[in-house]
Amino acid sequence: MSLRTPPPPMNIVSASSTGLKLAPSTLPVPRDPRRASKALVWGSVTVVIVLLHLFAIAGTDFDPTLLVDGWQGMARFVADAFPPDLDWEKVVKPGLEATLVTLWIGLLGTTLSIPSALLLAVFASRTTTVHPVAYQVSRAILSFFRAVPDIVFALIFVTAVGLGPFAGVLALICHNTGVMGKLWAESMEETDQGPQEALSTAGASRLQQITHGSLPLVVPQFVGLLLYRFDVNVRSSLVLGLVGAGGIGLLINQAIKSFQFDTMLTHIIIVLILIIVVDQASGFIRRKLAV
Amino acid sequence: MQQAALSVSALAKSFHGRRVLHDVAFEVNPGELVAFLGANGSGKSTTLKCVAGLTEPDAGHIELGGSVLTELSGRQLQLARSQAAMVFQKIHLVPRRTALDNVCAGALARVSGLGSLSPLFFSRELRQEAMGCLERVGMADRALDCVGRLSGGQQQRVAVARALCQRASVLLADEPVSALDPNAAEQVMELLAELAHEENLAVAAVLHQPDLAQRHADRAIGLLHGRIVFDGPATALDEQVLENLYSSERNVA
Repeated sequence: MSLRTPPPPMNIVSASSTGLKLAPSTLPVPRDPRRASKALVWGSVTVVIVLLHLFAIAGTDFDPTLLVDGWQGMARFVADAFPPDLDWEKVVKPGLEATLVTLWIGLLGTTLSIPSALLLAVFASRTTTVHPVAYQVSRAILSFFRAVPDIVFALIFVTAVGLGPFAGVLALICHNTGVMGKLWAESMEETDQGPQEALSTAGASRLQQITHGSLPLVVPQFVGLLLYRFDVNVRSSLVLGLVGAGGIGLLINQAIKSFQFDTMLTHIIIVLILIIVVDQASGFIRRKLAV
Repeated sequence: MQQAALSVSALAKSFHGRRVLHDVAFEVNPGELVAFLGANGSGKSTTLKCVAGLTEPDAGHIELGGSVLTELSGRQLQLARSQAAMVFQKIHLVPRRTALDNVCAGALARVSGLGSLSPLFFSRELRQEAMGCLERVGMADRALDCVGRLSGGQQQRVAVARALCQRASVLLADEPVSALDPNAAEQVMELLAELAHEENLAVAAVLHQPDLAQRHADRAIGLLHGRIVFDGPATALDEQVLENLYSSERNVA
């Protein structure tokens, strides 16, 4: 483009107009022979997705008019809940105590799953596993623990150890082993193999290669994931309370069942504060670790 | 003439049906720095990796410090191989650990049991020996620094110290200075030559820069299309030899 070209009008933002512009090619634009089949694929994918959504709407009785017609029910519920009952002896103090239990369930559920998750993660990572069979078996175990929701584990453990926080802790240990083991195995597979390889050529045993070459590289990721799981587990232990595993979830459930919605609101506010605090604290530590 | 520290003969290797090494044979003696030169894909790195066990050769005979590697297997092979220590282009230290801990890890083949699984349990003797290795490479004053905080050249010297802590008789260096700036490269090459001449180590280094070989190596081995086409004193590396080694790169299929 020549230098004498007048500058473009100010209201047209076009940075490229003053830069390099190659002459259009004289070659014909090649016709993509797959164009028709690509269009067919995209078209049928769209049709399938739309159909799936229609089935889903039918299957879930999805009907926004119900929500519009029934808004008064919700308004009554909210009106009953306000103002929250802030009676210290009857509501706030038991709420805080139960919150502490919830926090303890989340803590133990996280830390006590470290040994099993670590062991399975080492076997389930292609870079550190000892044998293809060990790899497949530990992958399968992790998948199982991950696939079964913690609430199902809780219901099973309640039959053994009775209602209460202990059943919740056991449930979280099981489910968290599956999730954290998978996340750890993946972060091990993503790290640099170099140091491990170097120690292997130096004659280090397999276990030494792992403890000196692989694990030190992933410690920050491991701790970050651990804190993230603690965060999630505290929230899960709330839900576990609903099925009788103690903690603040149990109190919320009782308040709803006895129509004490103002009590319920107080508990929910406490839960909200707890979750914000845990979230901020784990986020703060993770940011510090990332440096 | 003294016994060679590393002797290789009839080494052959193919990748996906393409022959990358043909009948490679050479020796490296204690006290000499041998530079391996050649264009990309000439097989110089593959040769080194076959010795280090990072690649399995198809055929050939590798003798290292009295044991024939190609006749051993499993843990015995691994231990025999630890007679050769390796230094890598990408250094491969653990950045979050101190230089001293990284150097101690070079000795892992000699220590065993649960106590060998964490730097916390490394013995005083081992730390003392590792300090000696760091001192030898001029890094004693940075022993407690995390490796990640050191410069590339310093890291490579720590990696050499780790190799020394392995008590090897052969030092294999795969492009040890390709990732370093010219000054650091010069220092590391000087160090490798010193270790050969003063500590009687046999050093085999794959290099990409012929001028480094001319200045620091005692002997040079040139590979072209997987064959050794030059084996002689580094001073004999003249224009014609280099022309032959590098100019035909374009002719590789």
